Amino acid sequence: MKERRGTPNLHEVGRIMLKGMTRLVSRVHKLDPGRFLHLGTQASQCLVAHLNNQVPNESPRAISRTLENDPAKHGEQHVGRHYSIPAQDLETALPHGLPPRFVMQVKTFNEACLMVRKPALELLHYLKNTNFAHPAVRYVLYGEKGTGKTLSLCHIIHFCAKQDWLILHIPDAHLWVKNCRDLLQSTYNKQRFDQPLEASIWLKNFKTANERFLSQIKVQDKYVWNKRESTEKGSPLAEVVEQGIMRVRNATDAVGIVLKELKRQSSLGIFRLLVAVDGVNALWGRTTLKREDKSPIAPEELALIYNLRKMVKNDWQGGAIVLTVSQTGSLFKPRKAYLPQELLGKEGFDTLDPFIPILVSNYNPKEFEGCIQYYLENNWLQHEKAHTEEGKKELLFLSNRNPGLLERLCAYL
Amino acid sequence: MAAPTVKVARGWWGLAFGVRRTVLRLPGLTQVRWSRYGPEYQDPQIDKEYYRKPLAQLTEEETYERELRKTQVIKAAPATKTSSVFEDPVISKFTNMMMKGGNKVLARSLMTQTLEAVKRKQFEKYHAASAEEQATIERNPYTIFHQALKNCEPVIGLVPILKGGHFYQVPVPLADRRRRFLAMKWMIAECREKKPRRMLMPEKLSQELLEAFYSRGPVIKRKHDMHKMAEANRALAHYRWW
Repeated sequence: MKERRGTPNLHEVGRIMLKGMTRLVSRVHKLDPGRFLHLGTQASQCLVAHLNNQVPNESPRAISRTLENDPAKHGEQHVGRHYSIPAQDLETALPHGLPPRFVMQVKTFNEACLMVRKPALELLHYLKNTNFAHPAVRYVLYGEKGTGKTLSLCHIIHFCAKQDWLILHIPDAHLWVKNCRDLLQSTYNKQRFDQPLEASIWLKNFKTANERFLSQIKVQDKYVWNKRESTEKGSPLAEVVEQGIMRVRNATDAVGIVLKELKRQSSLGIFRLLVAVDGVNALWGRTTLKREDKSPIAPEELALIYNLRKMVKNDWQGGAIVLTVSQTGSLFKPRKAYLPQELLGKEGFDTLDPFIPILVSNYNPKEFEGCIQYYLENNWLQHEKAHTEEGKKELLFLSNRNPGLLERLCAYL
Repeated sequence: MAAPTVKVARGWWGLAFGVRRTVLRLPGLTQVRWSRYGPEYQDPQIDKEYYRKPLAQLTEEETYERELRKTQVIKAAPATKTSSVFEDPVISKFTNMMMKGGNKVLARSLMTQTLEAVKRKQFEKYHAASAEEQATIERNPYTIFHQALKNCEPVIGLVPILKGGHFYQVPVPLADRRRRFLAMKWMIAECREKKPRRMLMPEKLSQELLEAFYSRGPVIKRKHDMHKMAEANRALAHYRWW
């Protein structure tokens, strides 16, 4: 400190302390995005109040993170900022929903951070104001490739998991209509086909996501699996799920039972049901699966798809249905198609007809800056020129602010 | 490498302006590598900073140079050279060497996947390391790439020289470009031949680059073998006449 004549000015002391506090706060922001900042004494609390009113005199950078980790409290002011999902929530709420590149990013950075964006906020607003006495409303997220439909869906699922809803999440319906090694003829209905592998994998993930509900919900019918095994009326749903996981042959039927029971009991008010399907256009498209005589199978001949279609109809109350239509992974659809009408086809669109479409578009300039800032904070952009203005302009030009493309570009820079 | 031979075409006729005419006429020789541009064609200036300099700040020589360029004919810029800030001539050369059958799209995607794999591996190491080690771990895939190739460059090479009816391997100092070429060639050959059946090129290449960065691994061993052979054939050094 330089020597000053006379008593030091209170304003100057305050300014210097404020500078120090700002630096401390911004450093703590970087270290612990999830922790709440504790400030002990009264004097420092006054300074914190000053902080909120005055502009900090650090260099003006885009802010990319927010401390608000509860999706219920996200609002307009958080658009363009990343919030982190704790590892526990990731395991329970989203065991199988995240896109593979995002999973790689989570592993590399050791944290799962999602950006808060307008389409997700809109959907959250609608979900907060749902009337559970009315039939379930269908929301369809649509947009071009790489704009963030799946991650918006994951944001919604995290919100619903936090609010204690029952989550019925099908991570990618396209996986159920192609590349199936073992197709069995269904025991329940001779015309339909079973997919034991896909059904058992889904049941395992469903169990991890909704452990606590499975013991509370009771089955309302007796189900006979074979000569020796049956599930009595009134036994918990967990038994049905166990049966499906252990006896892989009955997995598809177990899935059908789970869907039927949940639909029946959602209007009773014990739980609120969220049906989240990614790539719902697979339910009404074509499949690449063939019978032994090489004749093609239509989607309704697959038991999983047949039961899922019943779930997606809006004839039940006590929840909401959030769907995504995507061209990636779809079969026999042109690459540039992204509108619901083009991807669902006539049959699908008519079935889903009164739905609320939500467009997910590329980043706006603020979100783009926030994304670049997030990568810079994690030291992901290692190329020297990526830190400069020129580099940012080039990234903007190359990616056209498309989130998926930007992620791929920054991966090797 | 034998002394370069220039072979020249016989009788070029009906040539347009600027296309190279016969340089040297020797019977029975055709020029193998030539450029369709004559000697008066200048190389294109791709650097954006050159054009962004305001006219007021140019020195006399630079103003003269600019005026001169207005009168000169300039070659077309190749499609692979961009004015992007992220462009790297070494990476471009390596991608071209990895390319098979003109499939540049595949070669470039393999290169970008390799850089990404290197980066992710280094990040993993960084997060697993203690605070002191974190300062030593290099996470920039481009510095790792350049350093690895520099570590693989041989200092001295062997050249077969015909003397008295026998070919002798003579130790010879290598030009810079030959050294860079050998380093890249050895790296690519190692990754193509010695990898397990189902391992993909980016994974193997990233592994080899990281090992070469730390100066261990099969490519460095090959460089040392070359040095040892050159040392062993020291006595034949007099066979070199250049």
